[in-house]
Amino acid sequence: MADPRRPGKVARYKPPATETNPALEDPTPDYMNLLGMVFSMCGLMLKLKWCAWIAVYCSFISFANSRSSEDTKQMMSSFMLSISAVVMSYLQ
Amino acid sequence: MKNLYIFIAVLFIPWSFSLAKYDEFEDGDDIMEYDDNDFAEFEDVSEDTVTESPQRIITTEDDEEEATVELEGQDENQEDFDDADTQEGDTESEPYDDEEFEGYEEKPDASHSKNKDPITIVNVVSVTFPQVPAHLQNSWESYYMEILMVTGLLAYIMNYIIGKNKNNRLAHAWFNTHRELLESNFALVGDDGTNKEATSTGKLNQENEHIYNLWCSGRVCCEGMLIQLKFLKRQDLLNVLARMMRPASDQVQIKVTMNDEDMDTYVFAVGTRKALVRLQKEMQDLSEFCSDKPKSGAKYGLPDSLAILSEMGEVTEGMMDAKMIHFLTHYADKIDSVQFSDQFSGPKLMQEEGQLTKLPETKKTLLFTFNVPGSGNTSPKDMESLLPLMSMVIYSIDKAKKFRLNREGKQKADKNRARVEENFLKLTHVQRQEAAQSRREEKKRAEKERIMNEEDPEKQRRLEEAALRREQKKLEKKQMKMKQIKVKAM
Repeated sequence: MADPRRPGKVARYKPPATETNPALEDPTPDYMNLLGMVFSMCGLMLKLKWCAWIAVYCSFISFANSRSSEDTKQMMSSFMLSISAVVMSYLQ
Repeated sequence: MKNLYIFIAVLFIPWSFSLAKYDEFEDGDDIMEYDDNDFAEFEDVSEDTVTESPQRIITTEDDEEEATVELEGQDENQEDFDDADTQEGDTESEPYDDEEFEGYEEKPDASHSKNKDPITIVNVVSVTFPQVPAHLQNSWESYYMEILMVTGLLAYIMNYIIGKNKNNRLAHAWFNTHRELLESNFALVGDDGTNKEATSTGKLNQENEHIYNLWCSGRVCCEGMLIQLKFLKRQDLLNVLARMMRPASDQVQIKVTMNDEDMDTYVFAVGTRKALVRLQKEMQDLSEFCSDKPKSGAKYGLPDSLAILSEMGEVTEGMMDAKMIHFLTHYADKIDSVQFSDQFSGPKLMQEEGQLTKLPETKKTLLFTFNVPGSGNTSPKDMESLLPLMSMVIYSIDKAKKFRLNREGKQKADKNRARVEENFLKLTHVQRQEAAQSRREEKKRAEKERIMNEEDPEKQRRLEEAALRREQKKLEKKQMKMKQIKVKAM
């Protein structure tokens, strides 16, 4: 069998454009991020401890499902917000 | 007289005992006023602040009375006692020791005699424990929600670490098994697109905690091959719990992009019936070119679980050669779908009515989706069983290059493609017309503006005349066309 390899015909990897195919993307991390922020705001404003705890859970789930190409800053900010919601609801 | 005093003393004992419970009682002072000598021993010494009352003035009464009535051992009153008193007190102090009343500083009662149990004093100063509200208690029970939450979080983190590691191990096991085959077929194995030069990284691209990519390129017939290891989300506890209800399996998706000249024009798919029905709805090319329902592959010796979707019978005949049937039969449980298409453009795009003006770009592609055996409970060893499937992929690439439609088939295929394009154009006809109209109006407006902006009046006049002439010519042309159509119709 002849060698099928052709080093001269190498094409570079192009990451698939996700803007044109929104159906291929997994929406879970974005939803969980939003949910986490909503719950932490509820926990802060209405002083509900369980809201703050759920916000922590949401930010954890969002982190676990996130893509590596995604910005870590947003993840960290939602995480910090939920932690602060828990702390504030216990201080009051 | 003596009897009278005894009687009064007996009367006073229970009275002052009852009064000893009340701090406010101030009759001790009053008693003092009556008669220092006679009733000194019956003074009520319940008041701490009343320091005059506890003055023990030992009268010249009988020693017996003193013995019964005198109350020894009141701590704060000790200082007030004269030496004579203490001496007296010492001799008569048998039932009541000073130490007995240590700490009971509030209401030592002068009238407590041998009849009264010293323990009763305790009742006076007993401390009752009021009900402390639950949120102020310092016991574990009041924090059960917090403990529950923290335990849940810890469980989630543990599952994340375990799941991530398992997926990592599975991915590397797969790669180690397939590395040799890939390296013998492709010049470039592993590329993340970031390096300046096209060198093999020899590593998987980790897109996610559950998705790994591998790009291979540099082979005859194909532009490149993208392998996606789509594992289950083992790192997400919610997903793990959901999978307990609905079992799912890891998938390996392989997408081979063929060179234009190396593949003929046809659309063909084989796979499980469920997968084909889903693909027919979702995929643009399958829905347009393979309008029939998936047919059973029993005619070619395929198991019942597999079905075939094809553009025309000739393609099926050509594809189902002995080796392919062998592959499909032996590994039917691992095959989800196999799709060969020259019009592949991905899933149908959900677009609004007025936006679709152009057909989506198509590429000649071979798509394979395999299920990893184990249905979720995979071990790294299971990856070895996928190696024959990769051989099938390589074989398919070569087969796709070799397979050519005959003249009839080619004509049919061309007709199909023209039909699809026409349908598309019809659908978008209205939009295209509107777009052309708006373009024409833009041109006219631009020209008018140019004429207005022209400063020289002569030039302006000339330009206006030219525009008029052009419009007249267009009108004439249209009229001619209408006449021609009428003649043809007749």
